[in-house]
Order: sequence, then structure tokens, then C-alpha cells
Amino acid sequence: MSGIEELLARIRAQMDLDGETEYQVLAEIRDHLEEAMVRAQAEGLDEATALAQVAARFGLEEVGTELQAVHAGWGTADAVIAAGLPVVCALVLRWLAFAPDGTALGWPQLLNRPAFWIVAVAALLVPLLKLERWRYALVTWAIFWTLTVMFVALPALRW
Amino acid sequence: MTIQQQMRKGTTTVIILKLLADADRPMYGYEIIQELEARSGGAFDFKEGLIYPRLHELERQGLLSSHWQGDEGGRRRKFYTITDMGRRRLEWELQSWRTLTEQVNRLLGVEANP
Repeated sequence: MSGIEELLARIRAQMDLDGETEYQVLAEIRDHLEEAMVRAQAEGLDEATALAQVAARFGLEEVGTELQAVHAGWGTADAVIAAGLPVVCALVLRWLAFAPDGTALGWPQLLNRPAFWIVAVAALLVPLLKLERWRYALVTWAIFWTLTVMFVALPALRW
Repeated sequence: MTIQQQMRKGTTTVIILKLLADADRPMYGYEIIQELEARSGGAFDFKEGLIYPRLHELERQGLLSSHWQGDEGGRRRKFYTITDMGRRRLEWELQSWRTLTEQVNRLLGVEANP
């Protein structure tokens, strides 16, 4: 493992982010460290000394901790927001086009069905799977449309 | 978070916004650090990497936008630009700073620099 890879590994050890975010964060830091190394070596330092200087000036552990604080939570919040829109759209369609009693006025009946609430809450918890943002929305959308199609195809089922 | 950390975070935020507003062009993290050091004559001395949590936070708040340059397989660099919202926030922060320093100077009996 090269010196810069070791520094990146130390930063990575301080973080627990989703794959895409971590990749982007580390790519940006890699660019910084590489340029700092070039500059340090241009000043006459050998590789080991330059690496030590770059690491000391960067503040590896502190940066990893702060990046984790900035990005953690937000990923889940973003995902819940991303999941929220397709959930609302799917529910509106479910209520308006495929209402339980065949009319749009019958949609409040859904609110009295525990299974409805279980599925809705489960869909909103999908973000806990730590998928990428667009996949959260896709998974949620898929859940609701699968259910909608299922209940249209099998009208005897009640949820 | 300690008071020192909060102050550092607050001042770093306004300094980054000011720097990007003055530059009026996209800048990347290392470049921002170098410019801060040059402008402050070395007085602005903090861990270089701490610029990134601040940049990412400002981006999340919509005060900065960013884009990547470079190939996926080769060297990639992330550039930041101040947004209109960032400029409005900067104006507000600068006004708050002027008000605060005037009040503290008055309390301490310090003459403001002309």
C-alpha cells in the first residue's frame, strides 16, 4: 500500500458512510494529498518526510471524524425525503385509481387497515439499508407498485 | 463542540464564502487552503483537511455548488463555486461581523481602524 493509500485508510477508518459518498470524499482528499506531496517533495523533502509532513498538516483523524459528522444522518435524511415523493405518488394513485371500494371516495378505508400502515412504514424504513439515494426511491416505488398491481390482479386480497 | 471549535467553524465558513466570492471562479480544496494561507500571511493556520467538512456542509446548505473535472480513471478534482444564496449569506455574515466588532470595540474602548 502506498503512503497516500495508508493515509486514506486512516481517514476511512473514522467514517461509516455509504459507498458512493465515501468514494467521492476520499477521491477529493486523494487529490489534495497528492498535490501536497508533490509540493513537499518539490521543496526538497524525501518521500517519507514529505508524507509525514503532509499527514501532520492534514489532520487525518480529526478530519475523518468531522466528515462523518457532516455526512452521516444526512444520507438517511436525504433518502427518506427521496423515498417520500414516490410513496406519496403511489398512494395518491392507489387511492384515486385503485380505491378499495372502487371509488375515489373510498380511499379513507385504507387508513383503517393495519397492513397499510405496516407497508407504508416499512417503505419509509428502506433507507436504513444504506442504498444510494436513487435506489431508495426505486425500491420504495417498486414496493408500492408491486402491491398495487397485486391487489388489482387479486381483488380478493385486502390489505 | 467546544467554543473554540464553534468559532473556528463559523469564521472558516465566512472566510470560504468571501474567498470564493472574490475569486468569482471555481476553486478546489487545496487551492482554497493555499489562498487562505497566502491572504492571511500564514496567520490562518489550521489543519488543512478541516476545510473539507466545511466545504461539504456549505454545499449541503446550498451556499456552494460543486462539479468534478477529470476522467473517472485518471486524476479527478472537485471544484466549488459560491451560489447566489451563498452570496446573500455572505452579505448577512459580513454585516453581522461589522456590527459585532463595532459593539465589542465600543465596549473595550478600542478605536476602529479607518
